[in-house]
Amino acid sequence: MIRLTQIRKSFGRNEVLKGIDLTVSKGEVVAILGPSGSGKTTLLRCINYLERPSGGQIEIGDLRLECKHPSKKEIHRLRGKSAMVFQQYNLFKHKTAVENVMEGLVVVQKVPKEEARKRSVELLEKVGLGAKLDAYPSQLSGGQQQRVGIARALALNPEVILFDEPTSALDPELVGEVLAVIRKIAKEGITMIIVTHEMNFAQEVANRVVFMDQGAVVEEGAPNELFRSPKEERTRQFLQRMTPEAVYSI
Amino acid sequence: MKLDPAFIWTAFVQLLSAIPTTLEIAGVSVLCGSLIGTAVALVRIYRVPVLHPIASAYVTFIRGTPMLTHLLLILFGLPMLIDAAAESLGLPFRSVSIPMIGFVYISFSITEGAYMSEVVRSGMLAVNRGQFEAAYAVGMTTPQALRRIVFPQAFAAALPNLSNSTIGMLHATTLAFAASVVDINAKAQIVAATNWKFFEAYIAAALLFWGLTFLIERLTALLEKRINSYNRGGVA
Repeated sequence: MIRLTQIRKSFGRNEVLKGIDLTVSKGEVVAILGPSGSGKTTLLRCINYLERPSGGQIEIGDLRLECKHPSKKEIHRLRGKSAMVFQQYNLFKHKTAVENVMEGLVVVQKVPKEEARKRSVELLEKVGLGAKLDAYPSQLSGGQQQRVGIARALALNPEVILFDEPTSALDPELVGEVLAVIRKIAKEGITMIIVTHEMNFAQEVANRVVFMDQGAVVEEGAPNELFRSPKEERTRQFLQRMTPEAVYSI
Repeated sequence: MKLDPAFIWTAFVQLLSAIPTTLEIAGVSVLCGSLIGTAVALVRIYRVPVLHPIASAYVTFIRGTPMLTHLLLILFGLPMLIDAAAESLGLPFRSVSIPMIGFVYISFSITEGAYMSEVVRSGMLAVNRGQFEAAYAVGMTTPQALRRIVFPQAFAAALPNLSNSTIGMLHATTLAFAASVVDINAKAQIVAATNWKFFEAYIAAALLFWGLTFLIERLTALLEKRINSYNRGGVA
């Protein structure tokens, strides 16, 4: 389980997160929506300390971290509990697909090379890249790179996978293949927090949708409820702008 | 005045004996310079308290003064320091027992370290921030991320500058004559001193340097091709 309590983050005088509370149970898929600048990506990056929160508390599994003065060791342990899929893929450029997936296993989790390789190959096959094991990121399309990114995250067997707008940098025709992979692993009961602009996808895959605006959670609920009958005016405005009406008029 | 082409060859053959000295000086300085440079670059990039201003001062002072001056300062200053220290500690050691080439190594390494720190820094800054974030996200510590992810890519990015620096150092070894160390250039002077055919001797030295430089260029080209294969792109 993941519990965020009163997470705050300021860049200088600009307060980006104004005390966010969020609980995600094991196996749950939570989608975070919101306009740009709402703080959703920052919140996600706070969970693995790529962004240092100014205050609050992060709890993942058996680890509980006070954001005021965490030690290096605590941050390291926190990062060991999550994995991230980046908007810009961020594959290790000098490593092949299979090496990318193996890297965390071998270096961080100290899994013997042979075994790490075997697991990595399996995962790459699972995301449909069994034929690209030895390709470098520069030789892969955006969609393929992102699928390697997902395999890399899966390999770590984390408590939660954080998806930071995983399809925003992709050509439209490549979005489908990546969403298909995420859909597939969502069904396997892996805990996921997904920041996305893909409304249909969020509605279909998520157990719960969180709508954020201006550094605060405006509203959260089951996707059907939130998309069909949002309680807050702000949510309604956002959804109207984001989705063609036809999709949700029943 | 008449050119004596035959003597160019004679001199060239005699100069070969000075190659090891030249390569040793260049090799040691580049190696130690890289280590110093990497340390200095890290201190500056991470803004390590206390060390950061010292590192900056080191780089600006060394790059702001000529290499020959460094050598002379070390040559005259370091023995005084060593002797004073040995004396106050009651050790029998004296600086005279240090071979001159030792001072050359020290001085050139210090010089090279300052220039190299900028080469390393530029290489590291060329690595996308996302690479670091991905390394952290899979759970690596900073030293792991540096060693496994950032340095290999930084090295590839810095390679052209690195080869430039190495070639510069190879040529700068000629300054070692100021410490009475016989490198290729000093050897040319010695060879010519017997018959005053300085022009021929220096032509031979120039050709020899050119040959060595050419070797370094070829080596880096090979290395670059190998190391940058991951950047080649195209769908596999």
